[in-house]
Amino acid sequence: MSARTHPVPEQFDDPVQQREAATLGMWAFLATEVLFFGVLFAGYTLCRVMFPEAFAEGSRHTDMLLGTIETAVLLTSSCAVALSVREVQLGGRRAATAMLALTAALGIAFLVMHGFEYYAEYREGLIPAIRYTQQGVYARGMEIFYCLYYFITLFHSLHVTVGVLLLGVMAWRTWHRAFDQDYHTPLELTALYWHLVDIVWIFVYPLIYLVGRSG
Amino acid sequence: MNARPARPQRTHRSGPRPPSLAGNLWTLAALLLLLVLSAGSALLRLGPFNEVANLGIAAVKALLVLTVFMRLKTDNALLRIVASTGFAWLAVLIALSLADVLTRQPLLAPW
Repeated sequence: MSARTHPVPEQFDDPVQQREAATLGMWAFLATEVLFFGVLFAGYTLCRVMFPEAFAEGSRHTDMLLGTIETAVLLTSSCAVALSVREVQLGGRRAATAMLALTAALGIAFLVMHGFEYYAEYREGLIPAIRYTQQGVYARGMEIFYCLYYFITLFHSLHVTVGVLLLGVMAWRTWHRAFDQDYHTPLELTALYWHLVDIVWIFVYPLIYLVGRSG
Repeated sequence: MNARPARPQRTHRSGPRPPSLAGNLWTLAALLLLLVLSAGSALLRLGPFNEVANLGIAAVKALLVLTVFMRLKTDNALLRIVASTGFAWLAVLIALSLADVLTRQPLLAPW
């Protein structure tokens, strides 16, 4: 399908109104996503208020270096997808496709690094209900920390996986000239989704990896 | 006779202009710098200010992504309202939950 012949559905006055409706809908969805992860963050906050030392101890068992690299990877991927939208707006199909492929590759790199983290935690016996071998005064509180850690990071990784698939589809469609300066709303919405996944991780990073590091 | 004048056909090109390449790259540089700052400050003994620095830097990073990468700065004002609504409800959720937990006192059975 060529973007130049993309018809505006009859309920819209023009392509700008169509785009406004689509981005408004996407932002409403993103607000629900904020609250979806927000419930997990609220649970984290309450449990941390009740078990501050155990959460600091749990956080010290996470891999801070890998967490920092993962954050840098996601931040870079966010910039790459923002540049891909910019390129499409300027008519650069090849560069836009390359940027989308780079974003998807960075997303996959993130997932692989997280997989290594999960494996290390499995070996260390830090997975509640599956393999949890911690002893000591903080063992029970740390179990709550790791429950929240797995809920938050697994849901986040699920979002990254969906994002990578969407980015792959967008790269394919961009390469096949589905988007141009006049029509690129699906690409814009995918980029918004990817940025939100990045924002969630921006808050996961200090709450999971940086607690009690100075102690 | 009272026919509305035809609205000029608007296209994507009449929307917000794409941000500059330098603007995007500087934002990425600022985000990475804030990440290093965040990791560095977490290793210093700052007491309660460790948490203030951690969350403060995260909030600044999120704002940078929201305003520049997600284009809330230049896009429709309605989108800014919808975006802030999500975060505002999250603040209400966390504040009210904390108000409960932090002020709850164990009640003795009245018998």
